[in-house]
Amino acid sequence: MAKHPVSLKVNGDEHDLLIEPRKTLLAVLRDTIGLTGTKEGCSTGDCGACTVIVDGKAVTSCMVLGVTASGKEITTIEGLASDGELHPIQQAFIDTGGYQCGFCTPGFIMASKALVDENPDRTEEEFRFALGGNICRCTGYTKILEAVLQAAEEIRTDS
Amino acid sequence: MSDYSVVGKKLPRVDAVEKVTGAAQYGADVHPAGMLYGKIVRSKHAHAKILSIDTSEAEKLPGVRAIVTQDDVPSGRRVFATDKVLYLGEPLAAVAATDADVAEEAAELIKIEYEVLPVVQDVMESIKSSAPRLHGDETKDGPNRRDISAKIKELSSDQEDDNSDEIRKLKAELEKYSDEVYYNISAETHNEAGDVEKGFAESDVIVEDTYVIPRVHQTYMEPHVSVASADSSGKITVWASTQGPFAIRSGIAGTLGIPLTQINVIGTTMGGGFGGRFGVIITHVPAVLLSQKSGRPVRVQMTREEEFLDGRPAPGCVIKIKTGATNDGHILARQALAFWDSGSVSGASIGSTIRVRGVYKIPNIKIDAYGVHTNKSGTAAYRAPGAPQAIFAGESQLDDIAEQIGMDPVKFRLMNMREEGDSVPAGGSEPKVGYKETLEAVADAAGWWDRESDDNQGWGVAVGDWTNGCGPGGVYVSVHEDGSARIFHGSMDITGTDTAITQIIAEILTVPYENVTIRRGDTDSAPYSTGSGGSVVTFTMGNTAKLAAEDARRRILELAAERLNTNEDNLELKDGAVHIVTADPPKSISLGELAAYSLSTTGGPIVGKGAFARQPSTPALAAQIAKVEVDPDTGRTRVLKLVASQDVGFAINPMAVEGQIEGGVVQGYAWAMMEEMQYGDNGNINPGFVDYRVPTSADLPTVESVIVEVPAPNGPYGAKGVGEPPITPTLATMANAVKDAVGIRVTELPIKPEKVVEALKNNGHGA
Repeated sequence: MAKHPVSLKVNGDEHDLLIEPRKTLLAVLRDTIGLTGTKEGCSTGDCGACTVIVDGKAVTSCMVLGVTASGKEITTIEGLASDGELHPIQQAFIDTGGYQCGFCTPGFIMASKALVDENPDRTEEEFRFALGGNICRCTGYTKILEAVLQAAEEIRTDS
Repeated sequence: MSDYSVVGKKLPRVDAVEKVTGAAQYGADVHPAGMLYGKIVRSKHAHAKILSIDTSEAEKLPGVRAIVTQDDVPSGRRVFATDKVLYLGEPLAAVAATDADVAEEAAELIKIEYEVLPVVQDVMESIKSSAPRLHGDETKDGPNRRDISAKIKELSSDQEDDNSDEIRKLKAELEKYSDEVYYNISAETHNEAGDVEKGFAESDVIVEDTYVIPRVHQTYMEPHVSVASADSSGKITVWASTQGPFAIRSGIAGTLGIPLTQINVIGTTMGGGFGGRFGVIITHVPAVLLSQKSGRPVRVQMTREEEFLDGRPAPGCVIKIKTGATNDGHILARQALAFWDSGSVSGASIGSTIRVRGVYKIPNIKIDAYGVHTNKSGTAAYRAPGAPQAIFAGESQLDDIAEQIGMDPVKFRLMNMREEGDSVPAGGSEPKVGYKETLEAVADAAGWWDRESDDNQGWGVAVGDWTNGCGPGGVYVSVHEDGSARIFHGSMDITGTDTAITQIIAEILTVPYENVTIRRGDTDSAPYSTGSGGSVVTFTMGNTAKLAAEDARRRILELAAERLNTNEDNLELKDGAVHIVTADPPKSISLGELAAYSLSTTGGPIVGKGAFARQPSTPALAAQIAKVEVDPDTGRTRVLKLVASQDVGFAINPMAVEGQIEGGVVQGYAWAMMEEMQYGDNGNINPGFVDYRVPTSADLPTVESVIVEVPAPNGPYGAKGVGEPPITPTLATMANAVKDAVGIRVTELPIKPEKVVEALKNNGHGA
């Protein structure tokens, strides 16, 4: 299959790639660039494990074709910590025990980051609803919500 | 217990950073150089004869490197179907190609000719003589009272003595069977204690119902995956997403006839398991076959759809159950007849039917359980396998009895619970278990005793029991010159078990928790370890870790006595150093100094070894209370409060224990209210998250967990396995709450809104 030139900016790094039009952004991130922190849980956009941030918005990368992401700025789980410091959301997931097997965690953290960046003043009920696009099978969500609320609080206080 | 400094504390998990940064390596993240992508070719019919498999077109597709079928399995063990398929999605062949999309294209090019056969999906249909036989002559048409009666008659006519040993044996056998003849039976089990007929005769109240529990999928978030690499010497390396690397090693060896030592299994970080991640053939064997044939590493990864078609979910079942009690609240008898849907193979958790007895003193009990074949994939364990189904029936019916005799459901349960020293059905006597403490704790925490309900609101309670398993394990611990300690073992971390092992070793060696690190070896390097399932890990590996740390401590004290020129009796290991208790001024030597010193001694470095296989376990109870509100117009049930208590023995890490309780409860909630694998005439019809809904954060409120600690005599620090108990009572908790809210006893899960609306209409409550 013919390949197309694509330029992606991922976690601040420029990647000039040749990719088949049928490859999803998820496949490009994982298989072509080698950033395997983003997970594939369903391939149908229903579980949220593959959530990354594209131009500030949380998207399920299994539902985006890689060619359509050309020129966009993408942040994955690998790009969240800076200078060896965990992002407050990452730290909050550790402090509260907001993950267990960890497979859904990168997606949850990226979805939470987009929500908190957009509006850290959401109530618990609003975060519960807004995170309804991500599935976790281990935690029962109680500690994930604690983590997100803790991080939102910290980000509110800092800003 | 408060004397401990590391165990019993809410500490961050040892795998924290790798899990929140995306660094943890799961199966699909493994990518050896030259790796090919595998794809399994699956049946398009639920029951059909295979007339031919033609791979010629697929072989011509550029990028295809290997195609395997059952012809490539030298041992002849069934990996792919040959003569007929028994369910939609059953594997027929596998392809490896240079690209995942090419592999998928190639799989579609393989031509299979079928002759479609009649399908049976319902266990109650499958046991009838009119049902198609799934296994031809291989499966017995029985158990068969008629056959045994005929045999007795035949023997009687030949023999003069009607009480010959053979006839007596047959008559005893006959007692076990019902009068019915069942077909497509894969397995059976019968238990009896006391005399149920007598028990029912003496009862004032008898309730009898049939409960139907659907097949549900464990729905671990990481689909099955393995990467296999066969080198030119025949050595095979498998990166496997599994709960039990050693079981996968022996499974591959057995299936393919390869010596055990030629296979190395590397367990990758596991994206959830819940009992469903022990299968050998599922992806691991196809990956090995493809790698052997292509000479390249091959990854076989299931899609979510494939998980639903060809995973090994929890069995559904039909349970007919009858309970008798006196008007003053004593349960006298319980009888159950269960048909478990084992799918195309045997293996449903039929033995768990006995769990209908619960934790109660029931003097007379009789259980008959059958596994029944249907045109579905086989089943596997799912968190306390078989218990949620049986306990749903038992605990629902208990509430109906309580209602009929006018007794509070919590008091009724408390009154009938077994106590320490009571005889237990399996033999022996009941150990000290916090049955009553746990139920009382949840009642207090939920506000049961002064509960209030508005219209259409209700409260439900249920309890469930489970006993952790136990198995072999080995742990090494080394102490290094910088005073740190390193653990080496072979068991898969199942959401926090590595952390528990680390806490135990840090506690005993008095090394700061952050200076103890843990590494899991592969099957080539690590000591044998049992699979991480059945709530075994903290019990087994915790005991193993304790033994290893105590062994290291012995060597530490020996070295310190030598170095400090004193007797070991004068020494104490504390705060990372060995102190002479009697010295004034104080004298001590640090663990780091001792480790450095050890390197030039005759006895050598500080290495502790622990190995352990079994000790009797102690049952654990989970008790839960839900408050719900049912909308009578839409039938929707909203959870207002969900409180879960559990006797965990001792919580080595309370944060991890709470996480297990919360997660288990939500899985139980989902089984009660939402989840159901649905089957049509041609197999599963809801193989995805849109049609098979699992709960999200938007579906539930916060689960409140209450930890009860009644120590288990043989558990490390008194700990019991905590993973499985919390799912066991939730199905009944929810059903009992709905019953209390709107008066409807739902006997067929899940409690979907349309069922509630329909039932309300029939009861005259509806609009």
